[in-house]
Amino acid sequence: MSETRPGQERFVAPIDETPLRAIDAVNVDAVPENQWKEAWKRLRTSPLFWLATTILVVIALMIFFPTLFTSADPKKLDLADSFEPARKGHPFGFTEQGGDVWARTVYGARASVAVGVFTTILVALLGIVTGAIAGFYGGIVDTLLSRFSDIFFSIPLLLACIVVISVLNNTFPDRGFWGSVLVVVAALATFAWPQITRQMRGAVLEIKNLEFVDAATAIGASKMRNLRRHIVPNALAPVIVASTISLGVFIVAESSLSFLGLGFPSSIVSWGNDISAAQTQVRSGDNLQVMFVPAAALAITVLGFILLGEAVREALDPKARKK
Amino acid sequence: MWWYVGKRLLQTIPVFLGATLILFILLQLRPGDPILNLAGNKPVSPEVRDALAAQYHLDDPLFVQWIQFVKSSITLDFGDTFSGQPVFDLIKQTFPVTVVLAIMALAIDAILGITLGTIAGLRRNGWFDSSVLVVSLALLSIPIFVVGFVMQLVFGVKLGWVEPTVGPDWNVGKLLLPAIVLAIANFAYTIRLTRTSVAENLGADHVRTARAKGLSNRLVVRNHVLRNSLVPVITYIGINLGSLMAGAVITETIFNIPGVGNAAYTAIQKGETSTVVAIVTFMVMVYVLMSLLVDLLYAVLDPRIRYV
Repeated sequence: MSETRPGQERFVAPIDETPLRAIDAVNVDAVPENQWKEAWKRLRTSPLFWLATTILVVIALMIFFPTLFTSADPKKLDLADSFEPARKGHPFGFTEQGGDVWARTVYGARASVAVGVFTTILVALLGIVTGAIAGFYGGIVDTLLSRFSDIFFSIPLLLACIVVISVLNNTFPDRGFWGSVLVVVAALATFAWPQITRQMRGAVLEIKNLEFVDAATAIGASKMRNLRRHIVPNALAPVIVASTISLGVFIVAESSLSFLGLGFPSSIVSWGNDISAAQTQVRSGDNLQVMFVPAAALAITVLGFILLGEAVREALDPKARKK
Repeated sequence: MWWYVGKRLLQTIPVFLGATLILFILLQLRPGDPILNLAGNKPVSPEVRDALAAQYHLDDPLFVQWIQFVKSSITLDFGDTFSGQPVFDLIKQTFPVTVVLAIMALAIDAILGITLGTIAGLRRNGWFDSSVLVVSLALLSIPIFVVGFVMQLVFGVKLGWVEPTVGPDWNVGKLLLPAIVLAIANFAYTIRLTRTSVAENLGADHVRTARAKGLSNRLVVRNHVLRNSLVPVITYIGINLGSLMAGAVITETIFNIPGVGNAAYTAIQKGETSTVVAIVTFMVMVYVLMSLLVDLLYAVLDPRIRYV
């Protein structure tokens, strides 16, 4: 042992005297963290996330407890009040028809957000299922599904909705609140799902050949179990981000349809209808609050969903994690 | 390359057939008797009815009617408006201004979006980047018609720099403001895509090699970063033609531009569903053709695509 070997020129402490902090610090008994828990940890520290949450909580309160914000009746129209300026209890004055601008904005949240939420749920479900099937099974199933979704993708969303709703408007001229929501949701969802399908398909294709899926197969997981327990949960992250952002896009799309006279019937209080009804005022430059109050409410809501999507994207992105 | 072109051409056929099938089904869902509609909802004699049915193939099975619909779409025969003018004449009159408007919007979108996106991507997380991000998020959340009204109010009514509406005698100068409004709808996406793409490419190996060779920053950015970053951006701008056409319906309405979108809006207001469907069919055809062209262009720009 007296011979000095290369690398032994310097004193080396015996292994049990060397604390290996990084390794010792690993708690072998700890439950493995999943990506959602980790993402939640990062989300909690993100100011963007809290800003978005605050906006969305306020909007949710407007939808479920509108009386907290206003005591006026949104449907009460009195022509004597036409374009009356603000007075007590009516902070933003009155519309051309004599409706309370603020009350209509508060109650209008329902219709717009309902369209956004239901369209997003429908689109996400359809897109996730079709995308997962196309990506996982590949071959002829993939080809058929992809070409089928291409057809819907080939008609620009708003143009498609223009046609669908102009047809349905004639077929069902009288429909209540939920009937109107259903028509807009159906039109938007029918032509919006291929985008999520494409995204999901891409993610599944990427993940299905990774080693951990092979490992699951090696310990006896069936194809279905692999898809459900291992592939889909890992492919969901980008889809959730895209869906949150598209929720805002659908709200904007609904208002654009209302602008064209194809969203909700005018009897329903909605942001799109109110903004659209106020357009004559803008040309002259008077009574601008009639347009800007509902427009601001809409923009802030959409911003809330987009910011939430951004925050979630940052929390789920492994590249951003390292910083 | 030719293999790819052939494959892409073949893919267009089922897409086109499917899209016309959807539009055809929607047209069938219209309420009312089509013959009465054609005759202006007045009672018609059996002879007239038979003649109309034969002319418009209304007694044929639905499948044959669909084939007929596809055939007439390809030959640009879209039927007549309620006032008896052939829809294609209406399109011929209105389409040029829409094309000019769309090209102007695309150019504004591309030039401004790529420039701002590149600067933001090169100085990631700097003040410029942050403010561009905030502005683009704000633009994403405001509906295009609200942007349109605000621009019209500020530049048209209050400042008086431009005429608030365009009217029948249009020219490029008058279309500038509407084109900016139309571009804004897509602008935010272009900026963000360019920014991500540039930031990603800045860290790429070939860029490091270029720097190691001693190239100036200018050359590295121009020849190595931008060229690679722009491929997805250009495809995106091409794909966006679809939303551009939908946006044209809204922009043309706001600024009273005598384009095809305005014609669609007028038809919606009058409840002329068949005219609406005809115009949208035409727009979808233009869109499908343009996406085909963009994809082929993409294959020329990016050799990797050809072999997938």
